[in-house]
Amino acid sequence: MEQNTVLHAQNVRKSFGARGNVQEVLRGIDLRVLEGEFVGIMGPSGAGKTTLLNVLATIDRTTEGSILIGDADISKMKDRELSAFRRDKLGFIFQDYNLLDTLTVKENILLPVSLGKMHKRVAEDHFKSIADILGIKELANKYPHEISGGQKQRTSAARALINKPSLVFADEPTGALDSKSASSLLGTLEDVNKQRGVTIMMVTHDPVASSYCSRVVFLKDGKIYSELYRGDKTRQAFFQEILKVQGVLGGDSVDTL
Amino acid sequence: MTLFDLVIRSMRKNIKHYYLYFFALIFSVVLYFVFATLQHDPAVVKQSGGTMGTAFKVAGILLLFIAGTFVVYANAIFLKRRSREIGLYQLIGLTKGAVARLLILENTLLSAGAMAIGIGAGMIVSRLFLLLLMKLVGFDGFIELTFSKTAVLQTILVFIAIILLTSLQMLVAVRRTTLLGLFNAEKQGEHPKKPKAVRSAFLAILGIGLIAFGYWLSGRMMNALLFINMLVVLATTITGTYLLFRVTISWLFYQVRKRKQGHLGLNGSLSIATLMHRMKGNANSLTIITVLSAMTLAMLAGSYSLYYSTGKETRSIYPHDFMFGGYGDAQEEKETKQFTDELDRQGISYLYTPIEVLNLDGRFFEEETITSWLSEMFSANIVSEKQLQQAGIDIEIPDARTAYFYDASVYWLMKTTEVPFSVKLTNPKNELDVSITKVKEGNILNPPFAGTQLVVDDAFYQEIKEQFINQEETHRVGTFFSVMILNKDQQAEASEIYHDFTKENDRLNFDYYGQYESTMQYTGLLIFIAGFLGLVFLISTGSILYFKQMTEADQEKRSYATLRQLGFTVQDIMRGIVRKQVFVFGVPLVIGLLHSIFAIKAASFLFMSDITLPASIAMAIYVLIYLVFALLTVGYYRKTVKAAL
Repeated sequence: MEQNTVLHAQNVRKSFGARGNVQEVLRGIDLRVLEGEFVGIMGPSGAGKTTLLNVLATIDRTTEGSILIGDADISKMKDRELSAFRRDKLGFIFQDYNLLDTLTVKENILLPVSLGKMHKRVAEDHFKSIADILGIKELANKYPHEISGGQKQRTSAARALINKPSLVFADEPTGALDSKSASSLLGTLEDVNKQRGVTIMMVTHDPVASSYCSRVVFLKDGKIYSELYRGDKTRQAFFQEILKVQGVLGGDSVDTL
Repeated sequence: MTLFDLVIRSMRKNIKHYYLYFFALIFSVVLYFVFATLQHDPAVVKQSGGTMGTAFKVAGILLLFIAGTFVVYANAIFLKRRSREIGLYQLIGLTKGAVARLLILENTLLSAGAMAIGIGAGMIVSRLFLLLLMKLVGFDGFIELTFSKTAVLQTILVFIAIILLTSLQMLVAVRRTTLLGLFNAEKQGEHPKKPKAVRSAFLAILGIGLIAFGYWLSGRMMNALLFINMLVVLATTITGTYLLFRVTISWLFYQVRKRKQGHLGLNGSLSIATLMHRMKGNANSLTIITVLSAMTLAMLAGSYSLYYSTGKETRSIYPHDFMFGGYGDAQEEKETKQFTDELDRQGISYLYTPIEVLNLDGRFFEEETITSWLSEMFSANIVSEKQLQQAGIDIEIPDARTAYFYDASVYWLMKTTEVPFSVKLTNPKNELDVSITKVKEGNILNPPFAGTQLVVDDAFYQEIKEQFINQEETHRVGTFFSVMILNKDQQAEASEIYHDFTKENDRLNFDYYGQYESTMQYTGLLIFIAGFLGLVFLISTGSILYFKQMTEADQEKRSYATLRQLGFTVQDIMRGIVRKQVFVFGVPLVIGLLHSIFAIKAASFLFMSDITLPASIAMAIYVLIYLVFALLTVGYYRKTVKAAL
């Protein structure tokens, strides 16, 4: 079956710093993500994981190279267009949830569609189905400080999914969670990915987390080092494979943050 | 690295947080210094004599109080903003004592700098203020500003006291806090809670009810319980205002929010939600700001109206430029002639008119119509309208056999009396009921002769005279000599002649222009002080709101970063923030204005003239200054949102 390309990055480079003290963090990355994939990005600290995610997610700009999301070339867009693009086409899940403390769970989740043209009733339906999948329906009127970390991250995930994005970016979504909440959240993300066909790209340092992915991309020193496909392997087997690559890749200097 | 190096470094690093506090300090110093200079300026002292000195002293204490509160408040806000930094110092091993020393050293350096700059700037602007003051009190000689050592010393002493106070504040702040608390201080701020339905609804409505009741009562204070009424009005409006900020607004927002069922939208999230979140913590300061600004406004409008209407009011009390005379066979005609001869010699043209007045005993006998504050008996001066016309006074002619009532000293009590009412004129043998068809503003004769004046038409006047005056009653007929200066530019000159003249004859001065001048001086000073204090107060409260908003903006930075990541543009976010700012500045402004309108209305019996215009001007200035601060905060928010991503 021919799958559509959701994201296509070509020769993406990103440098930081002023003249004389330039540090190239991304050194020419080519990456293609197909519709319905669940891609994990791993690598030691300083490999450029977060920079890559920021650049792909239109939060930061590339120094060189082009990025296509769907048919749109985001490297040529203006800031205002990028904002609209993020709002309409992308979803975000952050390590520390980034929920607004002053809003209830439901208000937080509905935030991304608040400026869009989505009808209130449609938004309400979306909210119900997503809250159902993520198991946070009962929390709708609670404030973030009243719920647990796992529940917060589910809220954050629901917020990322509410506008039916073509691509969801997750930056260390399990980084602040205990292992039980983490695996439960990842299981849910896997379900969402499989059942609803949502394309997800997740940055993580945790081999357990990346074992839920359908493909894992390893970065080293700003370049793609290798890739692993899960295929029909069990999660356990995939996990062992990931560990092996990680061992070769970073020795004992595995990113701990 | 010594402590001093650390201080310099941290000041350099914090300059963008500091500069506002620094300006606020400088500003306080400048204003206080200007005030102190004026207080000790020989020209002011000479011009004013005793009254001005006292007024300045009282105002100086008030100013000190405002400036002190403001600096302490601003310092508290800045301490909270820097709590993380203070925590960090302690984390790397500085003792609490060392941290306190660091902060105090910083504070002292900053304050000393502000003091030096403030006094320097104060010297420049104090001349401007002196000119303004002299202009207001109507002095137009040459003014030389002398450098006042006393003023400098006084300013330095006052601000040293303020530095000590803020240092103490820092010491207490550092001693009291725990390391963990310091790191979290910036995040503090209560969590949003759902209001308890019944209790909140009750308190919310009670707040509005109390304010409404206070307003209602403020219009009906004029009775025997005046003082108690005033206290009740104050208590209800202040409590109401507090409840409004503490409960009502949050409660209303909660209702709106509940109705939205989660579809709050970006604008609502940035305005309603954050406002609800912060209302509890801000209720105290918003209440104080609102109530005090209402008082300031009322004071400003009142003094402005006094000043503004000085000419009009003096004229209504002193309708004649000069007046001589008395009852019985007094010798004033000769005196008047001496005066007018002198005017002739100086080439001042005038209108001279003798006015005959009958003095009878009067009695209000429809007691329920007359306010209980006046005694039943009064001394009535009957004047014919015809002679007043001849003296050049523009006057409305009463109908036949009725009279108009004039008495500037009780006008404020009488003006609400229902007309017509009757008074009984008596002497031992006769009595006559006269119907009063109008209570008019001001006098028709100059004090001290005025008393209660009844103006009648000429025919009625003759009739009364015939009825009451016989051979033994001649002492009840008086003649007053009105002198009106025809050329207004010569009034000052004529007044001077009059004052020399009264001095020679050992009499008191009662002339229009002299009275006008001294009232101008008095009200000019009043408006200067009220304006000065009002300005200081406005700018202080505006800055406090600004500082608070700055802190809020910094605390919300993370939310803005999230929102921008979610794909909202700076403009989208700013729209919500502007809404919130309109609220933050608008609500205290509107409620303050409302309070002051009712306060001015309640006090308007003190003012004879219409004070709509001066009150509007004072309010417009108030709105303008708040607008500037609101725009400043919006600018700060814009900067924060832009930098968030």
